[in-house]
Amino acid sequence: MSLEPRRPVEHVIECENIGKSFPAPGGGRREVVRGITLRARENEFLALFGPGQCGKTTLINLIAGLDSVTSGRVLVNGETVREPGPERGVVFQSTAIFPWLTTMGNVEYGPRMAGMGRAERRRKAQRYIDLVGLRGFENAFPVQLSGGMKQRVGIARVYCNEPRVMLMDEPFGALDAQTRYLMQEELRRVWEAEKRTVVFVTNNIEEAIYLADRIVVLSNCPATIKREYAIDLPRPRNYVSPEFLGLRKEITSIMDSTL
Amino acid sequence: MMKIRLSRGMIDVLSGAASIGCFLLLWLALTRHTGLGELIPGPDVVLAALFKGLFGKVGRHGILVHAGYSLARVLAGFAIGGAAGVVIGLSMGWSRFAEAVFQPLYRVVRPIPPIAWIPISIIWFGLGESAKVFLIFLASFANVTLNAWSGARDADRQLIGAARMLGANQRQIFLTIVLPSAVPQIFAGLQVAMSNSWATVLAAEMVRSSEGLGWMIVTGMSNNDIVQILSGIVAIGVVGFVLSVAMRKAEALLCRWNHGGR
Ligand SMILES: Nc1ncnc2c1ncn2[C@@H]1O[C@H](COP(=O)(O)OP(=O)(O)OP(=O)(O)O)[C@@H](O)[C@H]1O
Ligand SMILES: [Mg+2]
Repeated sequence: MSLEPRRPVEHVIECENIGKSFPAPGGGRREVVRGITLRARENEFLALFGPGQCGKTTLINLIAGLDSVTSGRVLVNGETVREPGPERGVVFQSTAIFPWLTTMGNVEYGPRMAGMGRAERRRKAQRYIDLVGLRGFENAFPVQLSGGMKQRVGIARVYCNEPRVMLMDEPFGALDAQTRYLMQEELRRVWEAEKRTVVFVTNNIEEAIYLADRIVVLSNCPATIKREYAIDLPRPRNYVSPEFLGLRKEITSIMDSTL
Repeated sequence: MMKIRLSRGMIDVLSGAASIGCFLLLWLALTRHTGLGELIPGPDVVLAALFKGLFGKVGRHGILVHAGYSLARVLAGFAIGGAAGVVIGLSMGWSRFAEAVFQPLYRVVRPIPPIAWIPISIIWFGLGESAKVFLIFLASFANVTLNAWSGARDADRQLIGAARMLGANQRQIFLTIVLPSAVPQIFAGLQVAMSNSWATVLAAEMVRSSEGLGWMIVTGMSNNDIVQILSGIVAIGVVGFVLSVAMRKAEALLCRWNHGGR
């Protein structure tokens, strides 16, 4: 719509009272997201914390433009989102990396589609492959990688495309606790080296407190916003500091009160 | 690692050779010591005829030349049929319009076995090579089309979404997502098409031709020369085996990503 007002963008992401429902299997509709209003500033690390099946992936898909809202609207950089685009990178819960491409092929995919020359994009992709710790696996196909390595390919692929916004859907959900800690630490390091606006979905409260500037707590399905917490602890954060544990206790208790 | 793989390959080869050897021995024993010997010659006779045919002549050519004729017909028809099947199948899987146009035609033509076309092909193309190539085209076309079609149609929605979020346009999505995700299915179709083509060339040669392995068998029949029939059959088996091995090698090379890098 050309009549949309052009104004200085204060928030990179704006969800204005968005709702989403799907046709239900037995007829009628199933409401999955209800009346969510959400804003994210430039370079803010926003965590969405919510119970299983509450509609987190659906919400990410709406912001990404992979699915369309049934009410309200989503703006990114002040423009209404209608379809997926390279300024909104998605790290999928199910990785969705291309099985017929090697690590290098996956990471350089975005720049290749944009027409960047081979030498230049290889150099660029190599930087992000190194950043996520996959040096030595450039020529491996996804079947040859572990679950955690595939997630890293998914992260490097999005970083290499330099999106303004990164949408990460439980990127570490499938990992064991040990790898998960390593990946959280790595993501913190990468994000601090190259800041981006991030929306990070998780069902792990420690992960949210460790990484985020702000935590948005979602209710059970249909997802609504229950509460927001600003986390202004200095990074890197200490998992066992009194402030960390206090926040963890508080957020866990409000989750429990609704279950 | 390398050593284990080699020795596993050796085991496969050895056990294959052993089972074929046992079969030949059984055949030999039965023809020597039972009434079977009056119906068919022993393997020693057939293999000797085969060797003689390799260097001498059966009809106007040696066995290798006959096999070469059959093979050339198969490869020509298979190349045309395979290429047409890939193009039409992929376009059906990619575009609703192409699917609507080709699907009814395809559904009608597909159930007709290629040999049913032999009379028409002779009327249309005469007795030369084009009639046989046409039949093999028909024999390979249908399976490849079906597999390319379903391979393209079933391309993972989420991978297409991922490509779009990385900035790919429609043409790029087709070339980098839909096409590679259809390759394993296309190859499965090509494999079936190859064995159909091989069967069809023999049928076509048996009906009308003056060379080829199919011709060897029918002339053997009309001359009541059972040794020639059997050596033709063995040659058919060997060529068919080589073709299927070649197809599998090509698939392993192109679909490396699908096989855990083996
Ligand atoms: N395309 C769809 N069609 C119909 N229903 C859907 C669709 N996508 C999601 N749903 C429903 O919406 C609900 C929320 O799904 P969603 O994947 O958003 O949850 P989630 O919070 O990401 O879950 P998880 O914690 O398991 O990742 C589920 O009950 C699901 O059945
Ligand atoms: Mg989810």
